[in-house]
Amino acid sequence: MNSFSFDSKRCERIRQHLDSYLSNELLVETTSEVVQHLENCQGCSRELDARIRVRDVLQRAVVSRPVPDSIRADVMHKLRESQVRSFAGVGVRRWALGLAALAAIVVGLFTTEWLSLRRGEQLIESILKLGLSDHLICAVREHNYPEVANPPDQIRKKLGPRYAPLLQVVQERLPGYDVLEGHICSIPGSDRKYIHFIARAHGTILSVILTERSGATFPRENLLVTADSDSLGIYENRLSGMEIAGFESGQYFAFVVSDLSEKELLQLARGLAPGLNETLHKTTPVLPAKAATKWVKRGSSQG
Amino acid sequence: MPHLADLYRTASFLLRDLHEAEDLIQETYLEAWKSFHRFELGTNCRAWLFKIMFHRLHHVRRRLVKTSRVITIDTPERQAELVAEPVVPQEILDEDVLKALEKVAVEFREVVLLADVEEFSYKEIAETLKIPLGTVMSRLSRGRKLLRQELAEVARSYGINTRTKQADAEEMS
Repeated sequence: MNSFSFDSKRCERIRQHLDSYLSNELLVETTSEVVQHLENCQGCSRELDARIRVRDVLQRAVVSRPVPDSIRADVMHKLRESQVRSFAGVGVRRWALGLAALAAIVVGLFTTEWLSLRRGEQLIESILKLGLSDHLICAVREHNYPEVANPPDQIRKKLGPRYAPLLQVVQERLPGYDVLEGHICSIPGSDRKYIHFIARAHGTILSVILTERSGATFPRENLLVTADSDSLGIYENRLSGMEIAGFESGQYFAFVVSDLSEKELLQLARGLAPGLNETLHKTTPVLPAKAATKWVKRGSSQG
Repeated sequence: MPHLADLYRTASFLLRDLHEAEDLIQETYLEAWKSFHRFELGTNCRAWLFKIMFHRLHHVRRRLVKTSRVITIDTPERQAELVAEPVVPQEILDEDVLKALEKVAVEFREVVLLADVEEFSYKEIAETLKIPLGTVMSRLSRGRKLLRQELAEVARSYGINTRTKQADAEEMS
């Protein structure tokens, strides 16, 4: 077999995965295989760019289609009309009451509650995506960790005095995991910095990520389920095949990201949260801690 | 009203004209209101509305099939062309993209819209369209290729040559 046919076959195989890669639907192992191949193959990399371009021009074009202002009014009219039909023959008073109830449902549920819940879900999702993107880019795609764990002193040096104490917490609170790497990183095109720990157990890569909240906060109205009073509020969701848990700690969002099951990841996040919280409060200037976050709730139903 | 614009735009690319799309949206919200008790708070409201819309759309299509002609665009020649991976112009007018989209057969078009524009997961698309996950994947792959092919036609009309399989093979070597 010559190298040409080998490469062609490999490219062919990778290209079969490109659609799912583009939709973030690949398993982590395959994603990593695709990413590694893309780094070394200009042809496939260009092919991916072309596919991304097709998606981008499509998105742009579809969104450019105007939505007539009249639609909203027409929908409301249709709903009222249907309600009038439903209440016909039951007397004016009940009809009027019915209409008022409909208006309340439409205005109340369709706009306020739906929107508020949806906004809450979107907000949780967008916050969790901060951690997800750093994990996918820095750990999965860029593979920024060694096969054998970096010496702790080296990691502490990279983290600087402010964040170095976090290493011990991560090492202690992730039983069975080797902490391979710790550093401060950023995502191209973003000013945001991430304190990023990469750990591994039985071939599973896990990221612990901290980033400044900059005033953002998880929406309290989406929290429904109480957890035990000592724990911090942990939000959790599955996005792009990854399980992500997040919580607030002083000025920071903390995330734990991996392709573990929800139960496994939440267990690790619960173990990490108090230690990280305590250490962050000791080592960094914090705002008054509002530890009224005794809730656990899935971010949205995407998973 | 949540998600109305997303639903309307998607509907407008799947039906023959905008009036049909408007009717479909009205029916969708009416149905949503009637069956609101079935909506589980905290679950994905947007996916739920899309599911209702596609359920209605299915009925509308059955009605329309009786009155419209069927256009088959996936000829063997076209399939052969798809082997090559065509270039897409860097600058392309939205109008031309939408024309290209409308040439893609509707069963592929709807999956591409749900995946690439509305960014639903494969699982959500499978549930919305009531088709198996594998079918979502194959239709998406095919739909994207068809759209790209149509966009390459636009490229040709702009005077840009399409990429050939041979050029691609040379690059791989």
